[in-house]
Amino acid sequence: MAVCVAVIGKDNSPLYIGGIGNDTSTDNELSRQWLVHTALDALEERLASTNTNNTGANTTAARTDLRDLYLGLLYSTDTHKIYGYVTNTRIKLVLVTSSTSPSGSNIRDAEVRTALRRLHALYADAICNPFHLPGDQITSLKFDKQVKTIMLNNV
Amino acid sequence: MADDIVFELLHSEIINYALDQSKDNTNDKKEVDLSVVEYIGFAAGYKIMERLTREWPRFKDELDTMKFICTDFWTCIYKKQIDNLRTNHQGVYVLQDNAFRFLTNFSNGHQYLEFAPRYVAYTCGLIRGGLANLCINSVVTAEVQSMPSCKFHIHVQRT
Repeated sequence: MAVCVAVIGKDNSPLYIGGIGNDTSTDNELSRQWLVHTALDALEERLASTNTNNTGANTTAARTDLRDLYLGLLYSTDTHKIYGYVTNTRIKLVLVTSSTSPSGSNIRDAEVRTALRRLHALYADAICNPFHLPGDQITSLKFDKQVKTIMLNNV
Repeated sequence: MADDIVFELLHSEIINYALDQSKDNTNDKKEVDLSVVEYIGFAAGYKIMERLTREWPRFKDELDTMKFICTDFWTCIYKKQIDNLRTNHQGVYVLQDNAFRFLTNFSNGHQYLEFAPRYVAYTCGLIRGGLANLCINSVVTAEVQSMPSCKFHIHVQRT
């Protein structure tokens, strides 16, 4: 089960961080931010390698893979697994799953991919809200609700 | 098609409105302020881009992005592709549309040439907004020499 979903902007500022579980404790909120930020370095690293590895024999396979928006498992800790997705517009979507709970330990890659794809669709809809200014945090309650549904249902 | 004409009429009304506003604010008869129209285009371009690139693989480089603007982006908005794309490979791109849709309703000669800049401001903003969302900062200007054809100059700002 997904425990946390984050949308990170072009300049690595968090646009939205949402999680499920005991929402009330601030400690939980802090650990979420921490988890998401650990993944950002790994994310940047993968993006950078797309541009530099233009020569060499084995890069063609790697490059076609890296042109995919879904970047796969970025980072895993004892308790969590962090998956990443970067859109063409450099918006980073990060999904954190728990690796300790029985349902979370055997998540298939395809499930995470579809969840992140749907999250991207939701983000595109949220951006199209005329009251939303580019680069602002996403405060839409509708977006929040739909993201929580994805987290509960899919992964 | 009906949905096209709605966009066209709304576009020309927005321009009329912006002209009215700028007439109140400035005394100078010659100068018209189209920055509002350009900004509306920017916001629209920014939002459209997020949707259009959703199913696309990541772009390789700047030229790849420009090709996307010329083909898919233009088709989505104007139902045709850009007729000619030229570049000096140093950040200047020229997009030529031989029958730009907002200008096709006017006479082909020089009759309304002085009003043409009003009808390209929105599209300049549209291109700039689309590119801004793809992390390319640019200045977009347009040039109309003879009526239905229009050239858009894109200067990419490198820091």
